Amino acid sequence: MGLKKAFLKLATIGLGIGLMTSAALAANLRVLAWDGYADADWVKDFTAATGIGVDVVFIGSDDEIWAKIKGSEGQDFDVFAVNTAQLQRYIKADLVSPIDVTKLANQKEVLPRFRDLTAVSGVTKDGKVYGIPFCFDSIGLIYDTDKVKPAPTSMSVLWDPAYKGKVLAYDNGEHNFSFTALTLGYKDPFNLNEEQMAAVKAKLVELKRNVLSFYTTADEAQQIYQNNDVALIWANYGQQQVKALQKIGAHVAYVNPSEGALAWLDNWVISKGVRDNAAAEKWIDFMLSKKVGGELSERTGFGNTVTETGSAGGNDKLVWLNNVEDPLKRSDMWNEVKATP
Amino acid sequence: MSKADSTLPAERRLSLLVTVLAFALPVVFVLVPLAIFLGYSFFSVDQGTIVYSLSLGNYVRFFTDPVFLPVFWNTIVLCVSVAIICILLAYPAAYFLTTLKGRWRYALLMLLLVPLLMSYVIKIYAIRSILGLNGFLNKALVTLGILQEPSTLFVFNMNAILLTLTLLLIPFAILPIFLSLERIPQVLLRASDDLGASGLQTFLRITLPLSLPGVASAASFVFVLAIGDFLTPQMVGGISGFTFGRILYSQFGTAYNWPFGAALSVALAVVVIAAILIGERFGRNRGISV
Repeated sequence: MGLKKAFLKLATIGLGIGLMTSAALAANLRVLAWDGYADADWVKDFTAATGIGVDVVFIGSDDEIWAKIKGSEGQDFDVFAVNTAQLQRYIKADLVSPIDVTKLANQKEVLPRFRDLTAVSGVTKDGKVYGIPFCFDSIGLIYDTDKVKPAPTSMSVLWDPAYKGKVLAYDNGEHNFSFTALTLGYKDPFNLNEEQMAAVKAKLVELKRNVLSFYTTADEAQQIYQNNDVALIWANYGQQQVKALQKIGAHVAYVNPSEGALAWLDNWVISKGVRDNAAAEKWIDFMLSKKVGGELSERTGFGNTVTETGSAGGNDKLVWLNNVEDPLKRSDMWNEVKATP
Repeated sequence: MSKADSTLPAERRLSLLVTVLAFALPVVFVLVPLAIFLGYSFFSVDQGTIVYSLSLGNYVRFFTDPVFLPVFWNTIVLCVSVAIICILLAYPAAYFLTTLKGRWRYALLMLLLVPLLMSYVIKIYAIRSILGLNGFLNKALVTLGILQEPSTLFVFNMNAILLTLTLLLIPFAILPIFLSLERIPQVLLRASDDLGASGLQTFLRITLPLSLPGVASAASFVFVLAIGDFLTPQMVGGISGFTFGRILYSQFGTAYNWPFGAALSVALAVVVIAAILIGERFGRNRGISV
């Protein structure tokens, strides 16, 4: 009998502790982010400054974010990070809340290109702001400063016969169609009509004849660069790639083409199931501080939205990546390009 | 009596269980997946989602689209060439091994098989840097005066795939040829010698015919491994070395067209099965039973 009583008591205490911890967790801000977007020291500083506890869950892919947010209809997280190409999908599925930009003091201090959010394609809908830009990188051009003179200003240099067999391109139909469309001067590189597609394809066949090889990873491009005569690299991995090359002693520089460089942009968004909107706003505002922005770029090599970095000069034209009209078609046509003798 | 009665069914049950397992494993892990694959090849994709209604559309596309058949054919020619070169290089090596005595023979054989212990990707990386413009091969040829200046002939084209696959797959050719040569009874060779045949005659009329089964299985091994490879062409093929494996691979990554990828795999599987059957047929016909 005594034993049973003791058990009951233990169970009650256990239950009590369980409830207490879940109550403590309930007060915490729940953040879903890529590795590098919510480093432990920032979280500590944030809690010290605001008194709000934070639970961070890291994700590894766009699909994983979608699965986690969609799976709980936004109830499991308060804030998360997502790129411009993905964001519209979340807005359409009613998984994110509009953000009151006036609550974000630091947003007024961001780099000029991010100040007017209606000008950042993909982060607004029907005049409401859903995403606050946080981290980006451009897909520019890496060139060997000893071999390419004068310094290139446009991707059209990739087609220059002077560099035949010295060009490294990236093995991806979607991106290649987009950047070639920009080079041809098309306004919306993500929505091409039949005629434009055919023109881009013909142009890519020409590109192929000037190219040494198509690479897939930054590492691979670096190895090819070391063992061959490479003058130009279409830099899918942007700053990380150029810095890695400079580290091994390569004489390379980076440029965003004048016709516009494709660029990815990650944003902070507030989920539909947010428990404390004010806390979420404080988190985003904290993330837009000069200190966090600077450290983010220092640690990851990516560009941030508050301090100037190598990802883009103030006047560089960036074209934020968006969903393309038909990924399957682009992939098929890319195979046709590759199969053309 | 009663004891024997009770153990027999138990034994029988155990053997039944073993039999079921022996059949179930290949069925579950080989036949069922293959059947699913075959099933997928009749589906289609619309707006990024798979449509589960049967159609021959994928096969029609494979045979009518001008992209696929030429690449398919070129890939088969490439892999047959790889198999032939592998045989031509492996045969003398295997023959040399059989002339060695005792421990040396197996020590050397082991050395030839060591590359199989290394990661495939690392080997491709290494070979690619050897073939590159500033690579070892070019440097050696220029130093020896064979080439005036480094050549781009060896990397990022079909030659590169041919060279790389040959290098990677040679061990798979040496082993079966070595085994078939080793199984040739010494008495036959001695009898031939006694009857006054020259070394060349003995080789052409006894050794070579009796080793053909090994050659056949070596050729089918190499061909099958080469034609299924997409990584080597991807990494050293550059712009002109576009093979069927690369098309197939692209259907599963960015394109997300699994049904069409499955149909292409079925086409590949037909060729692979044919190669295995041919290899096996030759392997059996001329086999020796001593």
